[in-house]
Amino acid sequence: MKKKYKLLIIDDDENILAVLSKYLRGKKYAVATASNGLEAIKLFESEGKDFDFIITDLVMPYITGVGVISIVKQKRPEIPIIAITGWGEHPEALATESQADLVLKKPFELSELDNLISNLLSKNNNNDT
Amino acid sequence: MSIPLPIIGVSQAIKSIKELIKHVADTALNIVITGESGVGKEVVAQNLYFNSNRKNKPFIKINCAALPDGLLESELFGYERGAFTGADQRKKGKFKLAHKGVLFLDEIGDMTLSLQSKLLHVLQSGEFSPLGSEKDIKTDAWIIAATNHNLEQAVKNGKFREDLYYRLNIIKFYITPLRDRPEDIPPLIEYYIEKYSNHFNTDKLLKPSKKVMDSLLAYHWPGNVRELQNVLKRVIILKDWEEVVNELNSSILPTSLAVKQSDESSIISDLLDPGSLETKGLESLSLKIIKKKALGRIEKEVISYVLGKTGWNRSKACKILKISYKTLLYKITDLKLEPPSNLKRKLS
Repeated sequence: MKKKYKLLIIDDDENILAVLSKYLRGKKYAVATASNGLEAIKLFESEGKDFDFIITDLVMPYITGVGVISIVKQKRPEIPIIAITGWGEHPEALATESQADLVLKKPFELSELDNLISNLLSKNNNNDT
Repeated sequence: MSIPLPIIGVSQAIKSIKELIKHVADTALNIVITGESGVGKEVVAQNLYFNSNRKNKPFIKINCAALPDGLLESELFGYERGAFTGADQRKKGKFKLAHKGVLFLDEIGDMTLSLQSKLLHVLQSGEFSPLGSEKDIKTDAWIIAATNHNLEQAVKNGKFREDLYYRLNIIKFYITPLRDRPEDIPPLIEYYIEKYSNHFNTDKLLKPSKKVMDSLLAYHWPGNVRELQNVLKRVIILKDWEEVVNELNSSILPTSLAVKQSDESSIISDLLDPGSLETKGLESLSLKIIKKKALGRIEKEVISYVLGKTGWNRSKACKILKISYKTLLYKITDLKLEPPSNLKRKLS
């Protein structure tokens, strides 16, 4: 049976959070959400080992996306992370530096996101075996 | 550093701050703490440090608003012997001193653009070089910056570099003004009354009456927790809640006492001739002149306070101040003190 991957989506924009989680649940992923970086880190500390993939916004209150990526990668360097942003190049460059696997600029097609997730997950699985 | 002051409060804002400290203290990610003057930005920085795995390493503080550009640069990066006239020995910069510890950059919003770009370079490369040195030194200082400016706005106005903003703002702390979280006032009062009673070695004070507490809760606290601390010190010394609260509400308590209370470094910058250090260098600094200015400022504050309290009754005021009537009149003219407009008519 195909494994059901669990994604953590972090964004302080409720609408984006709703759209992304609805779409990805439809793609048969299990989805957890957090509306800011602090909530995300708390979730990650309690059930981090269950997550297979993280999608995070960059500009958020408390802990920014760059902070989330740095903290998560310190604990689980292998977990794939996509950073999504609508801002200028500076946070993007920082996100890459803090080891986001990919930076996706808003607006993007949902199918594009789905493809990227599948690619990163299969790349990750190949590395594991 | 001794144990920092605790972060006191029951509001959601304070709970979030405590929680955030717990989750990020060990990450060494760059932090910016914002909030009005007197909310306790430095206390948050100290608590971060104290809860981190760097607590046995140095905590180095520098106030970026207190020094002219050239001095601030040499403080941050240090210099080699002979780097400039007067550099007769080597000086270690704060970045070096804070290696593996914390570098607390207070008032970061006041840093000039030219120094901002030098700071950005250090944050990007993890290296700096002291003035007059060709060697790059690695630094692993955890940067915690604080400001009462709105940095987003400063970026929009071109006063703060956008790239530096993003690099510093990995973790964001915002401390809400005290007037927006009145539920924190009772626990703050309880804590500081206990602390100051011990410090001034006085008997423990009676709790404030409901009426007093209501006034304290309704007051707008422009100077935030620092102002509350000053008020509580006065309560301990005067042993009278009612009087202090009445003063507060009638604003007889000079706002300069309550609000300005800026830390010592900005007093220094206040007392120095603006710009003279930059143009004339360190030679222009004179302790004698500064002492005179500082003394004048304090005299002015105290005399105007006593005059305010006595309704500008100069005979009473000179007795309280223990100076002659003539001296008081001279000081009033010399320090350019003027009675409030509602008293002017009566006096003349």
